[in-house]
Amino acid sequence: MSETTERPPGALQLLFNGIVSENPVFRLALSLCPAVAVTTTVANGFILGVAVLAVQVLSSLTVAIARGVIHPRVRIPVYTIIIAVWVSAIDMTLAAFTPSLYAQVGLYIKLIVAFAIIISRLEVFASRQPLVPSFWDAVGMGLGFMIALMVIGALREVLGSGSFFGIVLFKTKPLLFFALPAGGFFSIALLMAFFNALERKLTGGTAKPAAGGHHG
Amino acid sequence: MSDLVHIDGAPRPKADPKVIAGIAMNLVLVCAVSAIVLGGVYVGTERYQREARLAGERSAVSGMLAFGEGAEVTEVRQYLDAPKREVRYLAKEYGNESAPTREFVFGLDGSLHASTAGAVASASGAAESAESANTAEPAGLEELGRLFVAKQGGALAGFVLEGESRGYKNRIRFFVALDSSLAVKGVRVLEHEEDPGLGAEIATPVFRAQFSGRTPDEIAALGVTRDPMPEDWHAALSAFASSTGGEAPAEWRTLMDRERTKPIYAVTGATISSRALTRGVKGTVDHFRRRWALLAPQLEGEGASR
Repeated sequence: MSETTERPPGALQLLFNGIVSENPVFRLALSLCPAVAVTTTVANGFILGVAVLAVQVLSSLTVAIARGVIHPRVRIPVYTIIIAVWVSAIDMTLAAFTPSLYAQVGLYIKLIVAFAIIISRLEVFASRQPLVPSFWDAVGMGLGFMIALMVIGALREVLGSGSFFGIVLFKTKPLLFFALPAGGFFSIALLMAFFNALERKLTGGTAKPAAGGHHG
Repeated sequence: MSDLVHIDGAPRPKADPKVIAGIAMNLVLVCAVSAIVLGGVYVGTERYQREARLAGERSAVSGMLAFGEGAEVTEVRQYLDAPKREVRYLAKEYGNESAPTREFVFGLDGSLHASTAGAVASASGAAESAESANTAEPAGLEELGRLFVAKQGGALAGFVLEGESRGYKNRIRFFVALDSSLAVKGVRVLEHEEDPGLGAEIATPVFRAQFSGRTPDEIAALGVTRDPMPEDWHAALSAFASSTGGEAPAEWRTLMDRERTKPIYAVTGATISSRALTRGVKGTVDHFRRRWALLAPQLEGEGASR
């Protein structure tokens, strides 16, 4: 707990960090499993992204507040419980008060409990930082995840179904491969390579190699 | 067991009971707080969740039957009384909480044991049914699902059957609508937890429309194939699914004659979910055919005498 010695980064820097320099999918390579399963369309990616954003922010705030009372030896199970509580509470509340919205997002909410990105932000950031920076980190990571899912979804929907956000673009026979899970991994690899190449170009080839080898 | 060692060969550190107690207390505290929060949210939302579910069912039933104002819908709930080896049916006007409940009790062999219509009721049976007819939820009985019988102008017009099947992750709850000849009018998925983008596609209009128009015999013989759906059939199904009431599109009617004996085309990458819904629809329709043969004389008999 060394946050007293160094000033926590500012809001803008944390947002940029989550969306670009440590993007959960393209840089940290976390939560690839849901990123592949769900991103057959842009709309799917958007809905899951919003759900992750909400749970990430609420869980990070809870951990940032309660970090003093959580025993460090059992912090991971406690984080899992905190995430599960928020997911279940959101699930029940949406089912009760917004049934039409719940019909669309209910499936996505229940998937979130096991997302590596959320628990890793709790461990890496919210458990060591005060409330306000934890909030901005959670918002940045949530937005970064949502944008990544929508970019993957856009590529796969255009190539795999010939449409964008449900609007039919061209009526030729689409490449079914991109709608299938294998195509999802392929799309993520293509986009990751593209963003790495872009970064190398922008920074003049001095960028450190992209992070990788994380699991989850 | 003092020679226990870590995998890397280092001696196992001595556990301090105080530390263990502290950890245990910490976990107990976290779980207790979580339980209180979840319990509070559940108590606060349970009533609204149930209302939302009932409202969704009501709109599904009226949407699937697609009848006008004059339609009269009876809700029939079915319960299994295992110790007595009896099946109980509670029939009531749908959506009218104060309507009287009629009860029919059948033995497992299909013989009528009791009926509040009074025709065959034995003395003990009648007293019992009169008692339970006033309670909304009979206690200690296993619920076997519900069905809705619709009449229009006194004539039988259609049915909606509630069904359940085990999907890829959790149960799939659905409604099957039948016309008066027991052919499938439509299938609607009410609740499921299949994966978005894969198994969840079984809830899409085109996949569900594959069941429509099939007779009970064709449903009983229905299989599932992984072959891709022919493109003309896909187009016809999506035209059928978006047609609102009235006549079915001509292209669908022509192709239906080719496809009615063919299997259901599974969702790509979601054969398990596709099979689960198909199995559920088959079971529900088959069960209803046998059930209706028993129930019809009772419900009809009363309708005629009024």
